[in-house]
Amino acid sequence: MPNPRRPDRSVVTTCAYCGVGCGFRAETRAGRIVRMMPWKEGKANHGHSCIKGRFAYDYYDHPDRVRQPLIRDSIDQPWRAVSWDEAFARAAAGLRAVQARHGNRAVGAVSSSRCTNEEIFLVQKFVRAVLGNNNIDNCARICHAPTQFGLSATIGWGAASQHFDSVLQADLIMVIGANPTEGHPVFGSMLKRRLRQGAKLIVIDPRRTESVSSPHCSAMLHLALRPGTNVAVLNSLAHVVVRERLYAEQFIRERCEWAEFEQWAALVGGEQYAPEVVGPAAGLDPEMIRAAARAYAAGPRSAIYYGLGVTEHSQGSTGVMCLGNLGLACGMLGRDGVGVNPLRGQGNVQGGSCLGSWPHVFSGYRFVTDPETRASFEREWSVPLDPEPGLRLPNMFDAAVAGTFRGMYIMGEDPVQSDPNQNHVIAALRNMECVVLHDLFLNETSKYAHVFLPGSSSLEKDGTFTNAERRVSRVRKVVEPLAGLQDWEVTVRLMNAMGYALHYDGPGQVLDEIARLSPAYRGMSFELIDRIGSAQWPCDENAPEGTEVLHRERFPRANGRGTFMLTEYVPTAERTSERFPLLLTTGRILTQYNVGTQTRRTANSRWHPEDRLDLHAEDAALRGIRDGDWVTITSRFGQIRLRAQLSTRVNPGIAYTTFHHAKSQANAVTSDHSDWATNCPEYKVTAVEVARVTAPGVAPRHEERATLALDPAG
Amino acid sequence: MTVAHAPGGAGDQGVMALERLIVMANQIGAFFAPYPPERRAEGIRNHLRTYWDPRMRAELLAHITRGGDDLDPRVIEGARLLELPDHEQRGYYGPPKA
Repeated sequence: MPNPRRPDRSVVTTCAYCGVGCGFRAETRAGRIVRMMPWKEGKANHGHSCIKGRFAYDYYDHPDRVRQPLIRDSIDQPWRAVSWDEAFARAAAGLRAVQARHGNRAVGAVSSSRCTNEEIFLVQKFVRAVLGNNNIDNCARICHAPTQFGLSATIGWGAASQHFDSVLQADLIMVIGANPTEGHPVFGSMLKRRLRQGAKLIVIDPRRTESVSSPHCSAMLHLALRPGTNVAVLNSLAHVVVRERLYAEQFIRERCEWAEFEQWAALVGGEQYAPEVVGPAAGLDPEMIRAAARAYAAGPRSAIYYGLGVTEHSQGSTGVMCLGNLGLACGMLGRDGVGVNPLRGQGNVQGGSCLGSWPHVFSGYRFVTDPETRASFEREWSVPLDPEPGLRLPNMFDAAVAGTFRGMYIMGEDPVQSDPNQNHVIAALRNMECVVLHDLFLNETSKYAHVFLPGSSSLEKDGTFTNAERRVSRVRKVVEPLAGLQDWEVTVRLMNAMGYALHYDGPGQVLDEIARLSPAYRGMSFELIDRIGSAQWPCDENAPEGTEVLHRERFPRANGRGTFMLTEYVPTAERTSERFPLLLTTGRILTQYNVGTQTRRTANSRWHPEDRLDLHAEDAALRGIRDGDWVTITSRFGQIRLRAQLSTRVNPGIAYTTFHHAKSQANAVTSDHSDWATNCPEYKVTAVEVARVTAPGVAPRHEERATLALDPAG
Repeated sequence: MTVAHAPGGAGDQGVMALERLIVMANQIGAFFAPYPPERRAEGIRNHLRTYWDPRMRAELLAHITRGGDDLDPRVIEGARLLELPDHEQRGYYGPPKA
């Protein structure tokens, strides 16, 4: 009998899950995907893959996928299936009506890092050229916006300084607030390979993560700091570097601003950052801080890899600056095996950052406030553009609650589930008169939407992704879009419906436009990527096939030098108290992805059927909680119920949960504190109390199925 | 409800809750606190100019005109530079310049 899964066709494309962006050969039979085979020539993954990219693709034709546009007049009505034209007309009329009633700036959009560079670019073009304001943001706002801010302030570009392969030349690897073996597994494997060859590992994380101790992974030092003390601890490392004169004086004099170094050294060299002062406050042995600083400075090749445990804090941007400062002070930038590298969460979150889905910059990180930059976009797009920065995503919701923001185009996002302080987000959405949601599934946010535009998954479209090492790879259409249109076509048709004439023969033309308008992408084209496989930006006349390692000769700042920011520690306003004595922090697990919209609709759920609350046995015993008991988790902002799991991975005083399941509603308890510079939410620190309950309680809200939500008559 | 949306101007009612803006502004002030006075004020001004929607800036300035209750004095000092035309003309936008 012939093998029913034997493929008859294959297409090379890029995985959309995490920021590693593995190359895959997607194999199909009779127009359906039967296998995802890791691509040996893929420069990010070299033929490796993880359990998500390899197996979790079934969501693409899951019965929950919405296959027709839907509309309704108010959110208490059932959805009505309509034609694309009717849906576009309704969305266009709705957004224009809001603008007529409440002003030009009363509408905006958010784009998704699950979408391609070309799609993200088109959404910001839609906002700027068609809506006529800069109210455009992307989901990096709630994850890596501080990376953009903190790294650009110190080393010039808000992106990883290295390519992934660079880790294979590192002597010392410092992983901070990240868990690459679970969150970025293919990079995690590469890191393990280097550890087996003898490199040393330091982990700074409140939790004893798999990166601290698991097969092939054993940290020389684990600084299990209290959530919220990152900046104090990183300043304390710097204190040791400065006081013990471990810094790279020649590098600083040749490549950095010396006067700024001196000012910084005076600050972090102060007694308040001595390990003996910071250690006890952060729950660390001062000698461990000293040992970590000495090992990092000694290198000779030390590399920093960090994640959302650095950025998702009220001092997220300051924390990232601390890393830039440390890298510069110890001369750990500009060569192989070193660097400061964000591990990006979503497949295209680096691309989301590069392509101008921000209220203050166009693509290529150039400011909307700069007349010359603006003029270049005005020439290309033939419309006058708003010279003022727009609202950031959390500020859009703040403004909506105040009644001054009334309409929104949400592409591929579920803010009700993924954004902090859920009750606030729901109040904001309820206040809006026109919410246009563009997604694969009816998610939590769809309950507050008026128009639903069915999206296409990354398996159904053409375009490019930019991974966490700045690598631009092709996304290629493997199967036909279920609802008939690729996402870039949907945005273009919406722009057309709003009166903006625009046509592209294909997304390759959009990339050409991106290249004309964004210096770091100047040399990018479908033709180049098809020819050489992928290319890392900056890609231009000086580097026609891209750039692996940044900052080799100069830093991309006006004077070419790196600089030091003053990073005073300011404790978060979120504090434990008698009522809320535990600190809750959050993270991810290997088999599931973010809020789980995709992975929960695949067999990967067998490994992680529910989110659980990790508690130390001591804290559990104090509250009479046994392993497996249902508990309530209460913060100043809300309450959720989960099952407890006694764990040695967390210290006493700390609670931890994943947030992969909508029914867990982890963001019903997270606070409204945010990063001082970017408003990136402080997901990683919430003061809570945990109490045992006898039953799971009332059935929590969960995502509606498309079929159930449809009006049977419609 | 009518809301003015002229560039740079806020309506009778602010674009968002004032308490939220005060918290955000004071956080910015706390970051720039260790800088020498002139750079501190300039840094706060640049941050507000580059990253805040004009209606948010207008709401903050209106609050300062009313006395600026609950605002860090360093924020008031920096925000006031937004009203000086020569600072606007220097045309610096971007991350804090060290």
